Amino acid sequence: MMFVFTWKKFSGVLALFTALSPMFAQTASDRVSAITSALSSGEFDKALQLLEPALQSSPKNPQLWMLRGLAYSGKGKQKAALASYQNALKIAPDYLPALEGAAQLEYDAGSPLAIPLLQHVLRLSPNDSTSHAMLAVLAYKKRDCATAVQHFAQSGSLLDSQPGALQEYGGCLMELRQTEKAIPVFQKILASHPEDSRARRSLAAVQLAAEQPEAALATLQPLLAVSDPDVSAMQLAAAAYEANKDTPNAVKVLHDAIVKEPRNVALYVDFANLAMTHQSFQAGIELMNAGLNLEPKSADLHLARGVLYVQMADYERAESDFEKAEQLDPLQDLSAAAQSMIAEEQNQNDPDRALSTVRSKLAKKPTDAFLWYLQAAILSQKAPEPDSAEFRQAVQSAKKAIALQPALSAAHNVLGKLYLQAGENALAIKECHLALQGNPNDQTALYHLIVALRKTNDQEEIPDLLKRLAKARQDATKEEAERNRYKLVVSSANQ
Amino acid sequence: MAISRRSFLVVSLCATAQQLFAQLQGIATRDVKPQAKPAPSGRPFNAHFTDVAKEAGLHMPVIYGGVDSKKYIMEANGCGCAFIDYDNDGWIDIFLLSGTRLESDPPEATNRLYKNNRDGTFTDVTEKAGLHAVGWANGVCVADYNNDGFDDIFCTYFGQNRLYRNNGDGTFTDVTKQAGLWEEGPARWGAGCAFFDYNRDGHLDLFVSNYIRFSFEHAPAPGENSTCNWKGIPVNCGPRGLPTGRHSLYRNNGDGTFTDVTKQAGIAGATESYGMTVVTADFDEDGWPDIFVACDSTPSLLFMNNHDGTFREEGVMRGVALSDDGMEQAGMGVGIGDYNLDGHLDLFKTHFIGDTSGFYRNDGKGNFDEVTRLAKVGVETRFTSWGAGMVDLDNDGYPDVLFVTGSVYPEVEHKLPQYPYKTPRVLFRNLGNNTFEELETQAGDGITTPHSSRGCAFGDFDNDGDLDVLIVNMNEPPSLLRNDMKVKQNWLKIKLEGVKSNRSAIGARVLVRYGGKVQAQAVLSQSSYYSCNDSRLHFGLGGSSMAEVEVFWPSGLHEQFKKVSVNQLITVRETLGIVANKGWSRS
Repeated sequence: MMFVFTWKKFSGVLALFTALSPMFAQTASDRVSAITSALSSGEFDKALQLLEPALQSSPKNPQLWMLRGLAYSGKGKQKAALASYQNALKIAPDYLPALEGAAQLEYDAGSPLAIPLLQHVLRLSPNDSTSHAMLAVLAYKKRDCATAVQHFAQSGSLLDSQPGALQEYGGCLMELRQTEKAIPVFQKILASHPEDSRARRSLAAVQLAAEQPEAALATLQPLLAVSDPDVSAMQLAAAAYEANKDTPNAVKVLHDAIVKEPRNVALYVDFANLAMTHQSFQAGIELMNAGLNLEPKSADLHLARGVLYVQMADYERAESDFEKAEQLDPLQDLSAAAQSMIAEEQNQNDPDRALSTVRSKLAKKPTDAFLWYLQAAILSQKAPEPDSAEFRQAVQSAKKAIALQPALSAAHNVLGKLYLQAGENALAIKECHLALQGNPNDQTALYHLIVALRKTNDQEEIPDLLKRLAKARQDATKEEAERNRYKLVVSSANQ
Repeated sequence: MAISRRSFLVVSLCATAQQLFAQLQGIATRDVKPQAKPAPSGRPFNAHFTDVAKEAGLHMPVIYGGVDSKKYIMEANGCGCAFIDYDNDGWIDIFLLSGTRLESDPPEATNRLYKNNRDGTFTDVTEKAGLHAVGWANGVCVADYNNDGFDDIFCTYFGQNRLYRNNGDGTFTDVTKQAGLWEEGPARWGAGCAFFDYNRDGHLDLFVSNYIRFSFEHAPAPGENSTCNWKGIPVNCGPRGLPTGRHSLYRNNGDGTFTDVTKQAGIAGATESYGMTVVTADFDEDGWPDIFVACDSTPSLLFMNNHDGTFREEGVMRGVALSDDGMEQAGMGVGIGDYNLDGHLDLFKTHFIGDTSGFYRNDGKGNFDEVTRLAKVGVETRFTSWGAGMVDLDNDGYPDVLFVTGSVYPEVEHKLPQYPYKTPRVLFRNLGNNTFEELETQAGDGITTPHSSRGCAFGDFDNDGDLDVLIVNMNEPPSLLRNDMKVKQNWLKIKLEGVKSNRSAIGARVLVRYGGKVQAQAVLSQSSYYSCNDSRLHFGLGGSSMAEVEVFWPSGLHEQFKKVSVNQLITVRETLGIVANKGWSRS
């Protein structure tokens, strides 16, 4: 991302420096004027020539070292430029033009050494938008969205001309689930490229994530109003209609998209999701069958149909689909997990058999966090005594799952539960908090936390947690009611 | 849960794959997996149950909704029953509730009172007693609300609940209106009920839970939306998706009338639950009765008594509202007892198919730990479970657990035979080490024979020193499981009569010490599922030949009786000690 400290700033600081410093005699001032004049006109060699005697007579003058840095920088000699700035900073550590010059060079080189320099600049000049913008970009590169967002927000209008930076800003806001703040960012991107359909879809997706389906539909409208609408836009529109409680239109748009691209597997999977949401499993299966007629080697379609079969307690067909999905795409993780879960479901009275299935899958996929979690969950369901080998294995499995995927809330929950059983309430509290970081509305984590805190007699936090748990329950009930408001029937797939 | 790496779609901002996967996870998390069954202990079980309902004269079916299909949830939940000694002869009689049918009221659809003939048989005295009533009855609670020495009956209904005053001459009078319990306005769905003395004034007050707000006109039809499908098959809707009921507390004015104090007592705030069975007991042992309401598909409620006429609801914090994973469960029936013999009242709660029952250990301060799996009762998830008791069935001194089961969807088994409508009873024998063992066949045909059962009551109808079981079966005659002990063990029955306390001694907590053990029980007016047990507390004593009895009366009085002989019924009258029994006293 291109961000530069402007020359105007340097000359301004220079003028101020000259005016305020009594040690600068008229002669020195004249000399500096000549150098800055050379720099302004791009005569870098001349500037360097003028600087040499000046530095010999005033080697402790940071301003001259800074000007030397500028001259070398102008000549493209970044190493020498950086050395000059560093000399200036040795003499005057808070000398802002040298700090900015050095920061610029380090930033341009993509070096993390730019960060302390920029932070130093901000200590001296807290509202410096260029430094904020640079720090934001550097934080984004480190995937530190929390820091990036803070600095992007203080970059002001600098971002308006940098669509790449806006994308990063918006992406970070989305990652931090600050969806409402992300909307104006994506609006700016679209405003700068109103014909860009991708920018339009992105804005619509963000609006959808911010639970503004009507706005998303309005954003998508230009893409849908054309005679040959883009299928990606239709797919998004279906999601927006569904979020807007308009399931009939969601089904219609998705159906039209499937007619347009009958081999687009993603569309069928979206329909499977709609069918799951509205517990219209048979309708979903019918459409997956249609998709599989066209794309019989689609692992995703087999997987989606398997999930629907599970909901209808047709475990044999489900297992067959999951096996097929794994054969077709051994690299995707879901089938192994699904098969393990089916094994767990089918062997309700024989958790050891379910464990055996999970272990065989783990042998093939030892870095699959979900399989480790499943192993921990099955072991935990056996209610082993806290001092038993099975209990220890459950704890280890949960820890392994977390090590592989730190955001796997379910694994934190299992581990928290195991710690609760073992009376390790402090550790249980820690795991609950970690689970809640991933999902603040996680009912299990909230409940375990309440229980653990009660047992430690640390009850101060409990009233607030009780409110949060009640709210999470209400939200879940509301969500369930939303899901229940519409049912798809087989014929609706052919509307 | 963030599982972005699992996405199997290339780019989909609506995150379809994640949603789908989240649903897939539901397979593992919504349906609770049973824990593995431990190896059988090989120990013989002394109790043996035979269904003697037919021989006993209990021929008439309990009518409740459709037989082969149920259009509305109203037809599915069924009703409770009671062991009540209405004539004070020392032989417990039987009161059975009834529903009706949607299309019309069949002639056999009525609540029924059966008088114990003291020879193993019963006589239907419903008409004579003035208890003929047709409607959708749900729960029953029994106690002497007017302290006249005779137990009265309160029945909950969809529609008007009914209070029957025992006239003491074998007849009852419906006094609902004059008692101030008549409800104006739209029909409510009265569910659980309990008489108890929440303000300790010696007069029994009344708590009534309500299930859902329901009307035939507005109820969705089977299959109409997603809450009306089970395993993909259209079934009756609810309770999810239907509005919750509101519970009521009525204060006994001491003159035969009641005043609705729901709001001022702090009950009215609990508006988001589908209330079912109600149990009142002093869970935190502070001398004041608390209220536990098993709730369907919503958090169960525990109202703690503030000693000033008000309650505070603390079910979640005290560990009895949710599953051990913080999820709502379909709470139906409740058993109360002291399974681990620590002198505190523990809770057992039955749930829907695909879930374990819930076992909650009380620390004596009203804080509960969920110990379902520790107690090894998490092995059973196959049945929708209803009436339950934590009672000593084999008199070995350790309370066992028995619950009855039955599906709510008769239409499902035609398409999915693995989900039958009629299912067996479930018996967990207490192994004496805080764990239980499920006995599938050792306890007789009375346990293994499948029915679609709902309420059940525990009591000793033949006064032979063990606990029998009365069970409501949907659209079938009830079961009366006679317990025939293979080896005699010692026991003690205790009947309490309040003087300053309410006459029925509802709310009294009794500790019995025997053979180095101590066991707590409480006098309740409802437990199990919408049902009422024999009011005589029954303690199995194993080989102990002497017992010590401690009574914590609702009035606050604490009495102790040492060296009490076993294998007898004792009647303890408050302040007067052990007095002569009424009617039968010894086997």
